[in-house]
Amino acid sequence: MSMSNVSEAVAKPSSKGTEAAVRATSSSPLDWLQRWLPKMVLGPTIISTLIFIYGYVIWTGVLSLTKSRFLPKYDFVGFLQYEKLLDNDRWMVASWNILVFGGLFILVCLALGVLMAILLDQRIRAEGAIRTVFLYPMALSFIVTGTAWKWILNPGLGLEKLMQDWGFDNFQFDWLVNPDMAVYTLVIAAVWQSSGFVMALFLAGLRGVDGSIVKAAQLDGASMPTIYRRIILPHLRPVFFSAFIILSHIAIKSFDLVMALTGGGPGYSTDLPATFMYVTSFSRGQMGLGSASAMMMLAVVLAILIPYLYSELRGKHHG
Amino acid sequence: MANPSRIDPRSALIGRFVLYAVLIAAVLFYLMPLVVMLLTSLKSMDDIRAGNLISWPQEVLFGAWGKAWSSACTGVSCDGIGTYFWNSFQITIPAVLISTFLGALNGYVLTKWKFRGSDLFFGMMLFGCFIPFQVVILPMAQTLGWLGLANTTTGLVFVHIVYGMAFTTLFFRNFYIAVPTELVSAAKIDGAGFFTIFWRIILPLSGPIFVVCIIWQFTQVWNDFLFGVVFSGGDTQPITVALNNLVNSSTGVKEYNVDMASAMIAALPTLVVYVLAGKYFVRGLTAGAVKG
Amino acid sequence: MATLEIQSVKKTFGTVDVLKGIDLSIEAGEFLILVGPSGCGKSTLMNSIAGLEDVTSGDIHIGGTNVTGLAPKDRDIAMVFQSYALYPSMSVRQNIAFALEIRKVPKEERNREVERVAELLQIGHLLDRKPSQLSGGQRQRVAMGRALARHPKIYLFDEPLSNLDAKLRVEMRTEIKKLHQRLKTTIVYVTHDQIEAMTLADRIAVMKDGEVQQFGTPQQIYDDPANMFVAGFMGSPAMNFLRCELQCVDGGYAVGVTTSEGSSYRLPLVHGDNSLQSWIGKEVILGIRPEQITHVIPHKDNLDHVARFSAKVSVAEPTGPDTLVLISLNGQEVDCRVDPREEKPVGSDMEFMVDMSKAVLFNPETEGRLL
Repeated sequence: MSMSNVSEAVAKPSSKGTEAAVRATSSSPLDWLQRWLPKMVLGPTIISTLIFIYGYVIWTGVLSLTKSRFLPKYDFVGFLQYEKLLDNDRWMVASWNILVFGGLFILVCLALGVLMAILLDQRIRAEGAIRTVFLYPMALSFIVTGTAWKWILNPGLGLEKLMQDWGFDNFQFDWLVNPDMAVYTLVIAAVWQSSGFVMALFLAGLRGVDGSIVKAAQLDGASMPTIYRRIILPHLRPVFFSAFIILSHIAIKSFDLVMALTGGGPGYSTDLPATFMYVTSFSRGQMGLGSASAMMMLAVVLAILIPYLYSELRGKHHG
Repeated sequence: MANPSRIDPRSALIGRFVLYAVLIAAVLFYLMPLVVMLLTSLKSMDDIRAGNLISWPQEVLFGAWGKAWSSACTGVSCDGIGTYFWNSFQITIPAVLISTFLGALNGYVLTKWKFRGSDLFFGMMLFGCFIPFQVVILPMAQTLGWLGLANTTTGLVFVHIVYGMAFTTLFFRNFYIAVPTELVSAAKIDGAGFFTIFWRIILPLSGPIFVVCIIWQFTQVWNDFLFGVVFSGGDTQPITVALNNLVNSSTGVKEYNVDMASAMIAALPTLVVYVLAGKYFVRGLTAGAVKG
Repeated sequence: MATLEIQSVKKTFGTVDVLKGIDLSIEAGEFLILVGPSGCGKSTLMNSIAGLEDVTSGDIHIGGTNVTGLAPKDRDIAMVFQSYALYPSMSVRQNIAFALEIRKVPKEERNREVERVAELLQIGHLLDRKPSQLSGGQRQRVAMGRALARHPKIYLFDEPLSNLDAKLRVEMRTEIKKLHQRLKTTIVYVTHDQIEAMTLADRIAVMKDGEVQQFGTPQQIYDDPANMFVAGFMGSPAMNFLRCELQCVDGGYAVGVTTSEGSSYRLPLVHGDNSLQSWIGKEVILGIRPEQITHVIPHKDNLDHVARFSAKVSVAEPTGPDTLVLISLNGQEVDCRVDPREEKPVGSDMEFMVDMSKAVLFNPETEGRLL
């Protein structure tokens, strides 16, 4: 560790060349550029965010106050489009559907996700492989998902026939073409696609729980179910929240799945706000009404998101 | 060792058995659609009518795959989904690369070169991850029309970059925030500037997050339907739109085998990515979820 | 090697004043230590010297040049960071040569420089490794090597030893001291460890709440602290602070103490002048270091500034060479440093001797020095 034997090396003066080169001189235009570079690099993104997100939201808001049909027309009619929307039976069906679909989808995904995560957390053989199977649907598009489930739920040749072949002769399964039940097919397909993701979130959460807490509870004599119910799951509250936010986000944006699985049918029994907005704006040429429905969707997202972000930010200040 | 609540070995064994039974049932549920798709795509239509969803094909046929690729009807034209498959690549590759690269630069600025208002801007940008895109598509359609980009691949790439950037920026920002700022300070003192530090110090550390971000963006853009159906025209449609047209066009007899083969083709690239890089895929999902 | 002058430097974050007007100056080749508890502004001051943070007002001169507005690269400084901040993707060689490479020093020259530094710090065998393959101590050396690879006017060390384990920290401390003695460079060194400050520094600036509490040589700071904060911060175990009454005895001054058994003693003060007159009969704070309260040392017994008293031992903490004995005076705990052979068992009475020549007095309100 001693360096007494290297004094020679120290004493050696460095060559003039190094000295000169090290004394870098500052040139002011370059310095100016260095100071502004970060802002210049972020600039395009700032501008694009301001225009393409905030500007466009405002623009859509403005359109929702006009009579625009196939083309934007800026003659304002106040909140007429919103009144029309509330009078519109199809919109009301779509709104009801999003409640049913969204509610069931979120609930089932959360329940299945937690259950699968807990089961997988029991030192399972081939856990990796099982996890892979649970998660692969997330890599597929909702269009592919819809196409596959449309075939599986096909009233003539799908599940019905399979069950009949297996001996359940009277098995009937016509949800896809039954206006009262078709919305539940959306739930089935969406749950199949997204629940593995929820499982992954919870599994990550479970793995993050401090093992010594569990050990302490075991020493206190708590049984495993009690430990999960009283200690581990409450620990996963933040995971519940973020899973809820993501799932509700998926639900509200659901468009592709409906288009592929039911096309909004039979009739318009499985319309969701997203498909309503698309059909109204692009197929039926009621841009004003379509904009109003889009703004309604945004309002719902904000109503869910703002309390969440608020609590997140508050939590951060306390943390 | 006197544990009063000790479970006796028999009931532990039964518990284990139930556990595995439930898990196997779940695995079957998740696997079934893929198996059904594959089996159906390899059958003839007569075979499909005669058997059921999971019956083995009487004869394994690849005809449906060929037809799906080159001659199935997608709405007006009947050239299969092959061209749309390539369309999707033409859209996806530039969109993913550009949005990822911009996200990396943005994340670098937002963590290592903060300036007054940069945190506020990041908050505003986060909002962009959450908006339902329905609320921007009408103005965007107008804008693309004015720019002459309506129904073009370029237009679609542009849209994907603009709305993908919020996510890519979020990924890189959350990654770079964990990179010690002292590294940047040290490099500044060593005389390196903005881009030198990025190229020489930051980028070499960014391998994993690039993989995560590219996979995430690839999946998002490849699987997109909304932007595709709104902003693309006949020849520039991505595969998702073509698949939907193929499956839901009401002309002629339904050929389920062709539908399934097409769905498999549309799903293949993202499935391959998932199989090859599942770890990063999951990391992206959960990373996006933590703050997204 | 250059002088450093800091002139009324202020730094404000929003409404918080982090630096409230700092004035310091050191000669070329001096080793300056900025020491203080966390949040005292020492790191902010160092970053301001480096140019990593802008100052709100005031000037910084390095080697006579005003560098206040300059970018870090134009200040001609080198810095060793607490986390070492080695570039993870580069080998040790590349890390050391990076600054030279950026400054477009020719390759042969760079190699020579790397060799010189490697020899100096004995890290030649590590040159082709990545930082992740090094131990904590090796990383620390490489971080120093990176700073030494140039010949900057000033070296800045930001708590460079705080991530090392205790033994290595002492070794590296000695090496840094040797290095400074040999290279005669100007060094500014931030630490929260008062032992590091005492052992390394030519000059110490003790900081608290964004102000320099005292600026002086280590011995000045130790023997002649400006206020109670400095007195309490420097030295381990810390100086005893004892509330007691100032008394007038035979034209001189003394303070009164009472042991837990109720016996009272007068401890004489040596250097008192007239300014203390107004404090007679009032409460003051006596500052006395543990090593000045000892067992009875016979040959010092007759000195004027030495007093004796006996008190009950309440706790004894052997450290090896000495034992720290806790007693109670005026109802307050007092640390004494005694020879282990003279130590009495806990609970029993023991005879102590106080050397009052280095005792100090503080104003209980302002915590400033009275004597």
